[in-house]
Amino acid sequence: MRECIDEGILQSYFDGELSGEKTESVASHLAVCINCARAARELESESLLLSKALEPEFAGPVPTERLRHRLDAAIAGLHVVRPVASDESRVHSWLQSIADLFTLSPQRAFGYAGLAAVIVFAAIFAIVQWRHVPVNNGSGLAGVPKPVSPPPASTQKESLATVTPSPKDKAQSVSIFAPKQPKRTIPGHRVVPNELAARPQVKLLPGERSYLKQIASLDTTIKSESRRPMRPGLQAEYERNLALVDRAIAATRSAAKSNPNDPDAAEFMFAAYQSKVDLLNQVADARLSNRQH
Amino acid sequence: MSGQARALIDSMPDQIATAEPSLSFDEAFTLHHRAVFRTARAVVRDPALAEDVTQEVFLRLYRNLDSTPGDELLRPWLLRVALNVARNTIRGASRSVARDTQYSKEAIGDGWAAPVEDYERRLEIEEARRALDKIKEPMRSCLLLKQQGLSYREIATTLSIKETNVGSLVARGRKQFARVYGKIGGSR
Repeated sequence: MRECIDEGILQSYFDGELSGEKTESVASHLAVCINCARAARELESESLLLSKALEPEFAGPVPTERLRHRLDAAIAGLHVVRPVASDESRVHSWLQSIADLFTLSPQRAFGYAGLAAVIVFAAIFAIVQWRHVPVNNGSGLAGVPKPVSPPPASTQKESLATVTPSPKDKAQSVSIFAPKQPKRTIPGHRVVPNELAARPQVKLLPGERSYLKQIASLDTTIKSESRRPMRPGLQAEYERNLALVDRAIAATRSAAKSNPNDPDAAEFMFAAYQSKVDLLNQVADARLSNRQH
Repeated sequence: MSGQARALIDSMPDQIATAEPSLSFDEAFTLHHRAVFRTARAVVRDPALAEDVTQEVFLRLYRNLDSTPGDELLRPWLLRVALNVARNTIRGASRSVARDTQYSKEAIGDGWAAPVEDYERRLEIEEARRALDKIKEPMRSCLLLKQQGLSYREIATTLSIKETNVGSLVARGRKQFARVYGKIGGSR
């Protein structure tokens, strides 16, 4: 070998990794080449340094026994899992997986306890809800007055006192005094004895019935002409006057009712009724004459 | 004896050598657990972590006993797995300080020399490790594996490099180590 030796080859030479032929070649070159001989000496010293430096790293104790125990335990853990996965039938593995649910580890026990608590609370909540619903239904069937059903007394009072401007309301206020009034009860709302007891209070005052009949017939006449609407201006005036008269009737009627022995009070009430009859007559005549034209 | 029969007998040792049955798991552990543990400890620098790595390496051997290479290449296979597992163990976490502290404690507990006597020894280990840290891969692994007595072929197999390059890598790694270690003060 004439050329100087590559550092890799020289390293391999000292590590005994070269073939016999190459080893002889390197040895013969080192014998004649000062540079390579110096490189070889450096290599030897550095290799010695490296070995000394790394010797403590690799001289440390190896915990053979502990490693063996850990490994045996880990392998035993693998064996617990393996037979189920490989050899056993599907049914057996399925049963095994179910059986595993009942082997209570602390975590699993806490999980089951939490699940049971949730189920118990849900059951209690469901029972409470279930009980509340029938109670509400029962109270409805027992005939306890509902907020939608108007109290009888207030109905009567409104019917006597309320005077509204619309013709529909006027007809309502008039028909209150008609014999058909009991039919105005809400469907399904049975008339209780209290209502029956309160009804005689609607008793008509003496002489009032003839006025009411007259008013009812006039009202029917006016309504029969409702296919031909009034002029808007006239309609408004008629409603305004009717409202005034109704209000006067209500006021004088309550006065006559509270003072049955006072002839003046009855007189005022009849005068009010007469005003309404006059008004209705006037309107009915006007509409009849319009139809003839 | 015919010439053919003699030729057959002459060839048998080679066939026996190549067809030699693999080591049993227990034999493999007995022969190689030290090399695996030391290699792992040199990388993770923590005896407890090195035990974890060693256990994982031999568990993998146990699971793949049928497909692992035969006796000749078993040590490179084990050390290759050990290096990978050890690197994965320390990857992503900057735990050098904790590692050194833990290592010192564990080293004492593991039966190293008494603390007072061992102070110089621990200092040497730390200096050698610091010098090794300055050497790039795969030269560093070449030095570690060669120091454990692996052949160039085994080193090449372990690190998946060409066998003809191992000599050069060892030489360059050795030079770098000597230079760095001298600067650190390890060559006092």
